[in-house]
Amino acid sequence: MLKLACLATALALCLSAPVLAQDLTIAIKASVDAADPHQLYSPNRNVQLQVYEPLLYQDQYLKPQPWLATSWEAVEPKVWLIHLREGVKFANGQPFTADDVVFTYNRSKDPAQSIHSANLVNVLDVVKVDDLTVTLILERPQASLLVKTLERASGRAMTIVNSRAIESMGLEQYGLTPVGTGPFMVTDHQLGQSLTLERFPNYYDPERPMLDRVTIIPIPEPEPLAAAIETGDIHLIGGNAPAAELIDRFLSNPDLVVSEVTGPGFQAMFINPWREPFLVPDFNKPFEELVQENGFKVRLAIAKAFNREDFIQRALFGRGIPAFGTVNPAMGFFFDTAINETSEQRYDLEAARQLLADAGYPNGEGFPTLKLLTTPAGRREGEIIVNMYQENLGITLELDLKDFTVLTEDSNAMNYDLMRLGSGGDYDPDDALVDWMVTTSRFNGLTRDTSVMPFGFFSDARVDELSAQQATEVDLEARKALVQEANKITSDKVAAVFTHHPTDILVYRTEVNYPDVSRIPGLVDLDRVTIS
Amino acid sequence: MQRYIARRVLQAVIVIWAVGTLVFFMLRAVPGDPIQALLADVDPGSADAIRAKLGLDQPVHVQYLFWLRNTVQGDLGQSLYGSHVSVNRIILEAVPRTLSLATLAFVISFALGLAAGVVSAVKKYSLIDHILTFAAFIGISVPGFWLGIILILVFSVGLKWLPAIGYEPLSEGIWPWLSHLILPALAAGLPFSAAIARITRSAMLEVLQQEYIMVARSKGLKERKIILRHALRNALIPVVTVMGISLALLFSGAVVVENVFAIKGLGRVLIQGIINRDYPVVEGSILLVAVFLVFTNLAVDVVYTMIDPRIDYES
Amino acid sequence: MEQTAAPKPSSLPVITPLPVSSPSRRPFYQLLLRDKRATAGLILLVLIVVATIFAPLISPYDPQSQKYDILQPPSTTHLLGTDDLGRDLFTRILYGARISLFVGIVTVALSLVIGVVMGILSGYYGGWIDTILMRYIDLQWAFPNFIIAVYLVAVFGTGLLNVIVAVSLAFLDDFARVTRGMVLTLREEEYVLAARSLGASDLQIMLRHVLPNALAPIIVLATISVSYAILAEATLSFLGLGVKPTTPTWGLIVSDSRSFFSRAWWLGVFPGLAIMLTVLSINFLGDALRDILDVRN
Repeated sequence: MLKLACLATALALCLSAPVLAQDLTIAIKASVDAADPHQLYSPNRNVQLQVYEPLLYQDQYLKPQPWLATSWEAVEPKVWLIHLREGVKFANGQPFTADDVVFTYNRSKDPAQSIHSANLVNVLDVVKVDDLTVTLILERPQASLLVKTLERASGRAMTIVNSRAIESMGLEQYGLTPVGTGPFMVTDHQLGQSLTLERFPNYYDPERPMLDRVTIIPIPEPEPLAAAIETGDIHLIGGNAPAAELIDRFLSNPDLVVSEVTGPGFQAMFINPWREPFLVPDFNKPFEELVQENGFKVRLAIAKAFNREDFIQRALFGRGIPAFGTVNPAMGFFFDTAINETSEQRYDLEAARQLLADAGYPNGEGFPTLKLLTTPAGRREGEIIVNMYQENLGITLELDLKDFTVLTEDSNAMNYDLMRLGSGGDYDPDDALVDWMVTTSRFNGLTRDTSVMPFGFFSDARVDELSAQQATEVDLEARKALVQEANKITSDKVAAVFTHHPTDILVYRTEVNYPDVSRIPGLVDLDRVTIS
Repeated sequence: MQRYIARRVLQAVIVIWAVGTLVFFMLRAVPGDPIQALLADVDPGSADAIRAKLGLDQPVHVQYLFWLRNTVQGDLGQSLYGSHVSVNRIILEAVPRTLSLATLAFVISFALGLAAGVVSAVKKYSLIDHILTFAAFIGISVPGFWLGIILILVFSVGLKWLPAIGYEPLSEGIWPWLSHLILPALAAGLPFSAAIARITRSAMLEVLQQEYIMVARSKGLKERKIILRHALRNALIPVVTVMGISLALLFSGAVVVENVFAIKGLGRVLIQGIINRDYPVVEGSILLVAVFLVFTNLAVDVVYTMIDPRIDYES
Repeated sequence: MEQTAAPKPSSLPVITPLPVSSPSRRPFYQLLLRDKRATAGLILLVLIVVATIFAPLISPYDPQSQKYDILQPPSTTHLLGTDDLGRDLFTRILYGARISLFVGIVTVALSLVIGVVMGILSGYYGGWIDTILMRYIDLQWAFPNFIIAVYLVAVFGTGLLNVIVAVSLAFLDDFARVTRGMVLTLREEEYVLAARSLGASDLQIMLRHVLPNALAPIIVLATISVSYAILAEATLSFLGLGVKPTTPTWGLIVSDSRSFFSRAWWLGVFPGLAIMLTVLSINFLGDALRDILDVRN
């Protein structure tokens, strides 16, 4: 109903208002290098979203909605029947059929052709039934199927690509001027400099998109970005949130709209359980037992001494909410707010100091100088953290700045004392638990020396169990219970100090109409946007 | 002279090869694995497949030989990231932007710098000398990005005369191209005009005290002719040296300016490539820059002999 | 009769040969102090160095302490204001002077000495010495210092050594080339030929006749390079390749102020001023030095 009202209003505006060139210019932070969904990662999503389409999408309430798939059902727990939309065309005029779904699946599953093949590890096959129907065969029932695998943001694996275009253009050109079924087509691509999208006239929904043209420009520096939107050179800042220090400035500008919603990610400071003075060789004990060990006491002290409110205020000028686990607010009703009051790692300075003293370092005396590993971009936040621990616990941290490529190496090898790391674009609890908190998680010390370190930064049998269960639990309430129990355990046992969930901020000029229905955290949808 | 140039060209090729080789091995010796970083978002199991596809699973010296062979044939490889766009293409799109920016900045810095330096020297210790000297000091003390942001705040946000960011290729028209380049060229060029002004002033002061200048004066030649024809020409040796140097420095200064004004030029391509450990992109860009710099140097040496014919490299 | 456009050796007026040795009767510092600008420069520099050494006594604040109100404009309690993390700017600039000055002066001094030596040898002797040295310079010039910095950090970790090596290398070729250019011209001067015919050794000629006359542009280059060195250190630190991240340096303070320009002008202006004053004082001294060494005066 809401959707219809929005559409109607938009249409009315279009018909009644004087015809204005519907040209939108948006700024993103990182370069758009290429838009082949099977090759790209993170920042380039903005192009992918306008040009390609998935089978389903999550609406602003995070419920799966039809897109290229009109309906779906699990005929058996491991077999899904999916009905495809009729009358959809690719930007090169070719019709969309089940063949394209099968092609996309096969390409996406091949690790030599796609870097997202892991997302399809549970899908055994995709079979064409007829031109508008496919069957999806799973190895295990998968709770996150609709929201992760078939969706477009974290899934990306099943974003429908065009086989004939790939063949005729070649891989390189296809990445530069992709062909999808989406509401926009790429008409010009100045590598790294700007990308021009134009309305796809044969889009299956004649009422969308409303914009004629979109130009995407990467702007890395904060002041010029602010200048550009204030002068009207650009209309919208999307993708990654603009630098937090600019938000107050935008808020006080009457020409600009700042839309802030909870974001799909978390940030943390990981503590290496294999290093003194916080050595914890085994997490598989009840909390009461763990807290008797000196190593664990130190970990907990570090966690409890972290003042999230203060950090968010100083580092992010208030643009974030405190985090206590990897499950983030964008995961909708899976997100647990009760944990703020019950988690063992919530801020308690007295308790933190007591724990540190009990562990043998009263007021930080005798505590070794530890290194805090972060990227150069994270230096400012790092300085705040160093200062915080100096004041709160009397311990000295040293910033260790390394490029992301080096940090990744060190992270995978468990070669750090403390490390700042986080995640974004996580919409499903699988992203939170399976990717991070399970013993075999891809981020959990993958290249470590297993003879010395049996696990990475965390391992708990119960969490492993819960995570496996929730991945196949189709009943939402049951799944939620499992997820929240796992989240509480990780929060208490201090696998890391969870610092915050960044908020997702969209800034645009008042003449831009960005309907609520398009406002999905972390994504920029332009198919319903107009300029007045 | 021709033999000299031929010898120099041969040496240039050797130097360029040395640069390329050094970069190749140094990049791989530095920590930071591009594939692991790529996989941060992705499937660890496909690491091997990707490495094989990109040829990174071979031993280093084998990779080097492939690289050498391909480079000599003009194929600079493909980016390790994204759709593996060919490095040739990345560079070809980035170079005109940096070239436009650097050329304009060069022209500005030279015109302003030479003029300011000459005036300053001729009117030594006068008010105008003090003003220009002071301006020069400001010029060399401020970082490029600082100047760039100030220029944006004044000319784009404040006066709304010029666009704040971006780049338009020449094919879009002269004014779109120029209007996007004026502020960045100023930001990159003004600090150098300050340096050039200082060096020109100093060199001119030297020359103006030489006896042959006094002789020319006593012969009644016009002051302006003396300054421009004789004095400046002889002062040019250090200035030309700086010209050669400043081209290189302009390039690196352009990186910062490119960042501020959101222009994806060669500087940014290179820096991003190094941060990402995107080996082919880094190697290709550095090679191109090396070719440019080495041959510029050769040109400078030849220009020396044109300015001062007493200089003879053969002796 | 008009002088031809390119001065040919035959049309050069006779230049009075210089005395082989011309020690000044007056002590050096007296000559220096006669020049007003040099005096000003010296005083300024001394002030800066003193402020650097006695920083803890001058300012009551801790440069790392983040407890003050953020983004405060200059006031009586915070002379130059505070930054976005609540640190006192004046204190940070004072403490930052240590590293920035050190980097600025030491790197340039190193580059200068090595570069000038290379340039003189190259320009004076020519031949294969010239070829080898200049091709090495070419190599180093065409090689981006950035990678060297990355490599050094990888091997030695962040620290002062990396910055000094990386930045010195950056300026080395400038000094070598400028020197060589000057020497190429100067070695053809008649007084040099005269000195040689009088039996002076190569070393004597290089040190007594060629070098002093080549010094003018070198000094100017040196003074300019100090500023660039300070700024180069900022770029390196910004990218995580500089000194240990805890120490504030001028360039880094300016660099960090990038997103706050419109909100807090003092963050960008004052460290920039500090750099400028330092460069100014060194420059004045350099000018005076050049005037003194200019024996034709």
